[in-house]
Amino acid sequence: MGTTTGTAAGTRDTTGSPRSRLLGVVTLLAVAVLGVLAFVLTDPDVRIHPTTGEEFGQFDAVRMLYVHVPLAVMTYLAYGICAVASVGVLVKRTPWWDVTAHAAAEVGTVFCGLVLVTGSIWGRPVWNTWWEWGDVRLMTTLVLFLMFTGYLALRRTTDDPRRQARRAAVVALVAVLDIPLVNRSVEWWENRTLHQRSTIGELKIEDLTLFTLFFGFVTAGLVLAWLLLHRFRVGWLEQAALDHGVAAAIAERHAETDDAEVLRSVGERAAGEGTSGDGEPGS
Amino acid sequence: MPDPGDGPEEVPGGSPTGPSLDLTPSPSRPERARRRPVAVVAVVAVLVAVVAVLLRTLGDASLFFYEVSEAVERRTELADARFRVVGTPQPGLVELDVDGEPAVVFTLCAGHVLADVAHVGDPAELFQPGVPVVLQGVWVAGPVPGLADLDGSSDDGWHLRTDHMVVKHDNDYRGEGAELEPCGTGVAGE
Repeated sequence: MGTTTGTAAGTRDTTGSPRSRLLGVVTLLAVAVLGVLAFVLTDPDVRIHPTTGEEFGQFDAVRMLYVHVPLAVMTYLAYGICAVASVGVLVKRTPWWDVTAHAAAEVGTVFCGLVLVTGSIWGRPVWNTWWEWGDVRLMTTLVLFLMFTGYLALRRTTDDPRRQARRAAVVALVAVLDIPLVNRSVEWWENRTLHQRSTIGELKIEDLTLFTLFFGFVTAGLVLAWLLLHRFRVGWLEQAALDHGVAAAIAERHAETDDAEVLRSVGERAAGEGTSGDGEPGS
Repeated sequence: MPDPGDGPEEVPGGSPTGPSLDLTPSPSRPERARRRPVAVVAVVAVLVAVVAVLLRTLGDASLFFYEVSEAVERRTELADARFRVVGTPQPGLVELDVDGEPAVVFTLCAGHVLADVAHVGDPAELFQPGVPVVLQGVWVAGPVPGLADLDGSSDDGWHLRTDHMVVKHDNDYRGEGAELEPCGTGVAGE
């Protein structure tokens, strides 16, 4: 269950632990149960139109929402964690905050990418389009994804860990301002989005549909927690390896200095012996 | 690199005083951290993408959806411009050819305001009367083709010629008691 990484002095060589393995098992079970609920037990969205008397709704495409909506909410959460940790980076300036921010941003970006993909798959049958340029929620979500992709790219533009952490923290705090725009866009610019207004806020969902959606939130939360935990541990091991590498480089430098001194003394002694005529230099 | 515990005889390079042995300390890390060109290019590419998305989103006024009533009000102002309009198709769809292409003709409504539509091309998969749609097209002077077969047409000497249709579904997931925007009887758009 854990990811094995290179060893560093004094650190473990895996990101797994008994508790994280338990979390992994529970997460896998939750994903399986969500699959059964979403794709087998819940009904398709079919209603009878009060005016026309014909069936309408999203039909089976509604099942994608049990995955899409929880992923979107957990994207907000992951980026929120990244923002809080970024404040920690700027205030505390310790690697723990930076590793946390980096892990949350990376996992959040995976989630955000999945939100865009699952939304697109759902939009084709329901909206009649894979993608709608100008839809304000799609655009703000895409901008969010791009900004955090930029955050991850920015982290690799320099070798200096402190500079890397500070720059990334500033970008994260700017990028996270997009989240309220994404979330409230359907209320603020109703005539610029195909997305519906909030369903849960207006209590227009009930019974097994509501339960499955909430179970989706729990499942996505477990997946997020598991991924965050392991990505954090990988980051921490990388940090330890970096520290170990620096320590090793210092030790090597000391060794070079010591060797040079030894060699110099040996050379001087050999030169002295050569001058006295006791033998060939270096013999 | 030699181990600190190794003796001098283990040092490669022949004679300890020979000319081939380089005792110069290896260069220290430069003051300024090394930059990684590929990552810098990636950051620039992302910035360009963000700007492109923002320009695409904010720069095109036609991406707004007009209510049917607004589209009717701004008919003169819109002239030949393409725009988007949201409304609910009324029952009574007519399928026919418009300018040699298959089309569906219907009346779009929001509140009590109506507009006739000739949509050229395939309609959306979930398109049906009573389910709101967003259409993209232009105003065309003259009655809509197939006007005589439409029930409750606006019949005001204009119609919308559209070629892009998406469905705007509601936020109600209840099996029973779903509330729908009334059409043809309400007051929206006044």
